[in-house]
Amino acid sequence: MTAATVEDRGPGRAWVAGAARLMRIELRRNAMIWMLPVAGVLFWALTYRRSMALAPLWNVRAMTMQSTTIAVFIPTVTGVAAWTGTREARRRLTDLLSVTSRSRWRRQLASWAATTAWALGCYLACVGVLYGVTATQATGSGPPWWPVLVGAASVPALAALGFTAGTVLPSRYTPPLVAMGAFLMFEAGLELVHGAGSPWQISPLVTGPYQLGDYEGLATFYPYLPDLPIAQVIFLVGLTLALLGILGLPSLAGGRWPRLVAAALTVTGVLSAATATALAGTGRLDPHGMIAIPALHNAADDRPVAYTPVCSHTAIPVCLHPAYRAYLGAVSTDLAPLLDELAGVPGAPARIAQTTTTYRWTDDGIDIATSAWTMHGTPPVYTIVLPNQAGEPALSVDQSANRVKGRIARDLVTAVVGGGSDPAQQAVTAGVLKGVRPVLGSEPPDLGRRITPNTPAAVAAQRFAALPVGTRHAWLVVHAADLKAGRITLDQLP
Amino acid sequence: MTRLVHLHLASRRVPAALAALAGCAIVLWAALHRHWDAYGALQLPLLFETACASVVAIATASPFGDPERVTGHRLPWLRMATAVTLTIAAAAVLAATGIGTDLAGGTTTAVRNLAGLTGLGLLCAALLGGALAWIAPVAYALLGVYALYTQWHGPALTSPCIWPGRPGDDLGGALCSGIVLCAGLVAIAIRGARDTPPPAG
Amino acid sequence: MNIDITDVTRRFGRTRAVAGVTMSAGPGVLGLLGPNGAGKTSLLRMLATVIPPTSGRIRLLERDPGVAAQRRAIRRRLGYVPQHLGYYPSFTVVEFVEYFALLKEVPAAQVPRAVATAVERVGLGDKARARMRTLSGGMLRRAGIAQAIVNDPELLLLDEPTAGLDPEQRVAFRGLLRDLGQTATVVVSTHLVEDVGAACAQVALMDGGRIVFHGTPQELTARGEGRTAAGDAPLERGYSTVLAEARS
Repeated sequence: MTAATVEDRGPGRAWVAGAARLMRIELRRNAMIWMLPVAGVLFWALTYRRSMALAPLWNVRAMTMQSTTIAVFIPTVTGVAAWTGTREARRRLTDLLSVTSRSRWRRQLASWAATTAWALGCYLACVGVLYGVTATQATGSGPPWWPVLVGAASVPALAALGFTAGTVLPSRYTPPLVAMGAFLMFEAGLELVHGAGSPWQISPLVTGPYQLGDYEGLATFYPYLPDLPIAQVIFLVGLTLALLGILGLPSLAGGRWPRLVAAALTVTGVLSAATATALAGTGRLDPHGMIAIPALHNAADDRPVAYTPVCSHTAIPVCLHPAYRAYLGAVSTDLAPLLDELAGVPGAPARIAQTTTTYRWTDDGIDIATSAWTMHGTPPVYTIVLPNQAGEPALSVDQSANRVKGRIARDLVTAVVGGGSDPAQQAVTAGVLKGVRPVLGSEPPDLGRRITPNTPAAVAAQRFAALPVGTRHAWLVVHAADLKAGRITLDQLP
Repeated sequence: MTRLVHLHLASRRVPAALAALAGCAIVLWAALHRHWDAYGALQLPLLFETACASVVAIATASPFGDPERVTGHRLPWLRMATAVTLTIAAAAVLAATGIGTDLAGGTTTAVRNLAGLTGLGLLCAALLGGALAWIAPVAYALLGVYALYTQWHGPALTSPCIWPGRPGDDLGGALCSGIVLCAGLVAIAIRGARDTPPPAG
Repeated sequence: MNIDITDVTRRFGRTRAVAGVTMSAGPGVLGLLGPNGAGKTSLLRMLATVIPPTSGRIRLLERDPGVAAQRRAIRRRLGYVPQHLGYYPSFTVVEFVEYFALLKEVPAAQVPRAVATAVERVGLGDKARARMRTLSGGMLRRAGIAQAIVNDPELLLLDEPTAGLDPEQRVAFRGLLRDLGQTATVVVSTHLVEDVGAACAQVALMDGGRIVFHGTPQELTARGEGRTAAGDAPLERGYSTVLAEARS
C-alpha cells in the first residue's frame, strides 16, 4: 500500500470514507452504550417524574428539564468518557497505536465523537419523550427550544471533559473521580451565582435568575429570552473546543499542522468560553423575569407574545393565558354561582383576566410585583395572577386555584357591596357569599361573618340568602350603588 | 501471614487507594471551610462519600486473574480484609473532615452513606469488574442528591432504600445501608472482582 | 535500503538499552536474536518509530522518522507486532484488524478486502466474527500479525511473533514470513533459533545493546562448528559461541 493509492479517489473522499468507517467501529463498540440504561433510569427518576408532577406548562417543564437532565448527564457522560479516554493505556495499546500513520488526535477525536453521539442520542431521546408527553398536555405557546439546545451543547462538553481527563490521567480511579469532580464543579458553580449579573450563571444548570428557580411566571406572556442560553452555548462550545484542542497539543498527538490546528482550537475555545462568561457577568434581571444580556439582547424579545385568552362560560368570564388552560376550570367552576349573581351589577367587572408579574432586583432579593387584584378600564376588568406565577412553584393546580378563588370572591363582593361595617352591607355580603362559602377557605377570614347571631342583621342576612338567585340579582342591579354608598338600611333589604 | 497481607494489599494498590482517599478528604475539608447554602452543604459530603466508596470498590480489582483465584482458602479473607480496611480508612478520613468544620448530617450520616455506597460498589465490582465498580455508586449518588433536593421541593423521597435522604439517626436507612455493605463484602470475598474484561472495553 | 541505521543508542535513565547499533537491511527476512535484555525490543521500538533514539541516525524506507511528515509516510507502510499485544476485548477479529487498517490510512474502499486477506493469511478466517476476548493466546497472536500485515507493509517488525503458536501454526507462520520477505523487509525478534534457521535469510545477534553478529544463518552455524558451546542444534551452538566470544 503506497501513499499514492491513498489519494487515488481524491483526498477529500478518502478522508471522509475512512473517517466514516472508523466512526462506525467506534460507535458499535462504545462504552456509552452500556451506560444508556443507567442514564435513562436516572432521567426517568430525576427528570421525568418530577416534570410530570408539575403543571403542564412548557416554560417550567423545559427549564426543569434543562437543569435536571444536565445534572443526570454530568457524572454519567464524564465518567464514561473518562473511561474511554483511559482505554488505550488500560488495554496496553499505546505502542501499537502510536505507530499507525493517522495521528493520535484523530483517533481520539473519533472515540470522543462516538461517546458524544451515543450520549447525545440518549439525551435527545429523553427530551423527545418528555416534550412529546408535554405536547399532549400543554396548551398555548409551543415548546421553548433553547433549554434543549443548551443541554445538547452540554453533552459534547461533558464528554470532552471526561475524555481529556481520562487521556491525561489514565488511572483506574480517574472515571469516578472525574465524574464526581465534574458534578461538584457544576454544583459548586451554582453556589457562586449571586444576582443577575453573576458570571457563574454561565453554568448550563442555570436556566434563569437562580434565586427564582424554575417556575411558571417566566416566559409565558413574554418570549423565552435566549440571551443567557446563547451565552451558555458559546461557553459550552468554547469549552469543548478548548478541551479537544488540548488533546492535540502534545508532540505525540500528530504532526506540525494538526498541532497548530489544535493550538488554534484551544485558543479559540478559551477565548469563546471566557467571552461567554464575561457576557453572563453583564446580565441584568429583565422586567419579565429572565436574564437579559445587553450585548446579546434583541429588543424584539421585549414585546409581549400575542395570544387569545381562554375564557370560562360563566356570566362574568374568567380569562386566562392559554398556557394556563389547566387552571381555568379549577378557578371558575366553584365561583360560577357568585359570578352569575354579580354579573351586570354596578361595580362588578365585565371580565376577570389574568395579568403578568414584573421583576426587580432589590437588596433583599428579587421583588415580584403585579398590578393584579384591581379593576382596570371601561368596562371594568378585574385582573388576577396565579400564585404559581409569583414565586410559589410547589403548588399544584388545585392548590394554586384555591388561593385565588377566595380573593376573587372577596374583591368582587367588596367592589359591588362595599366592605364596610354597615349592617346592610354585611347582611347582603353574607347572603351573597352563602353559595360559595365552601370555596373561600381562609380567604377572607372575616368577610361576611361579622354578623352577631340573632341580631337584626343576622335575620336580614338569612332573609336575603333565602331569596331566589334571580330575585337577589335583580335587587342588586337596582340597589347596589345605594347599598355601597351606605344609603340602604336593614329594613329596606328584601 | 503478615508478609502475605502486605503483598496482597500491594497487589490491590492499596497505597494508591489510600492516597486517593486522603486526597478526597483534603478537598472536602477545604471545601467545608467556605459557606455553602442549604443544598450545597447537604450534597457536598455525599459527593465525596461517593468518590471514596468508588475508590474502595475499584481497589478490589486483581491484577493476577485465574492464577490467584486457584490459590486456596486464604484469598476470600484477604479480599474481605482489604475491603474492610479501606472502608474503615475511608470512614476515618471522612470523619476527620468534620473536625472544626460543619459536616452536614455529622459523622454518623457520612459513615452510613459511605457504607451503603461502598456496598453498592463492591457488588458492582463482583458483577462488572473492579475497574467499572464506580458505576453503581455514582448512579446511586445522583438519586441521593435528588432525595436531598426533595427535602425542599417535595414530594420528598423518604424510602429507606435511598438512605442519603434520611436523617443520620434513622434506623431504616442505616439498616438498608448496612445490608448492602454486608452483601457487597460477602460477594467480593467469595467471588472477588470480576476478571473478564467487560464489554466495550 | 529499507532500514539504514547508524550508531544508534537508546537510554532509559541510566540504563543503556541500545549501545551504538549500525545496521542496514533491504527486502528479506532478518532474524534478531539475543538473550533477554539484549536490547532487541528497544531496537524494534525505535525501528517502529514508537520511541526516538537517544543518539544516532535512523532512516526507514528512505525517509527520516524524525520528521513528522516523513514519519507519517513511513507509518503508512509499516507493520508492527509488539511483544505484549494489547487489544480491545469487545472488538471482533475483523473490527480489530479493520481498526488498524483505517488508522494506517488504507483507502476505505480497499479496507474490507485487505482485512479479509490479512485474516485469511493468518488462518483466522473461521474466527473472523469472534470477539477478541474469546480467542486463545495463539489466536490473539495471529490477530496481532493480521493487523500488522493488513496494509501490505514494506517494513514489518515482529517482536516474539511465534510465542504461543503451536508447532503447526509456527510452520505456517514461517511460510508467511518467507512470502512477506519477497517484497518487504521483515525483522523478527525471537528466542526461537529454529524459526530463524527456517525463515530468515539474514540474522543479527544482539548482546548488551550491541550487534555482535550480522550474517546469514549458515554463517552463524559455521561459527559454532567444532566448538563445545551449548546447544542441541548447529545454529544454537553458533549462537552460543558468538555470545561467549562477545562476552569474553
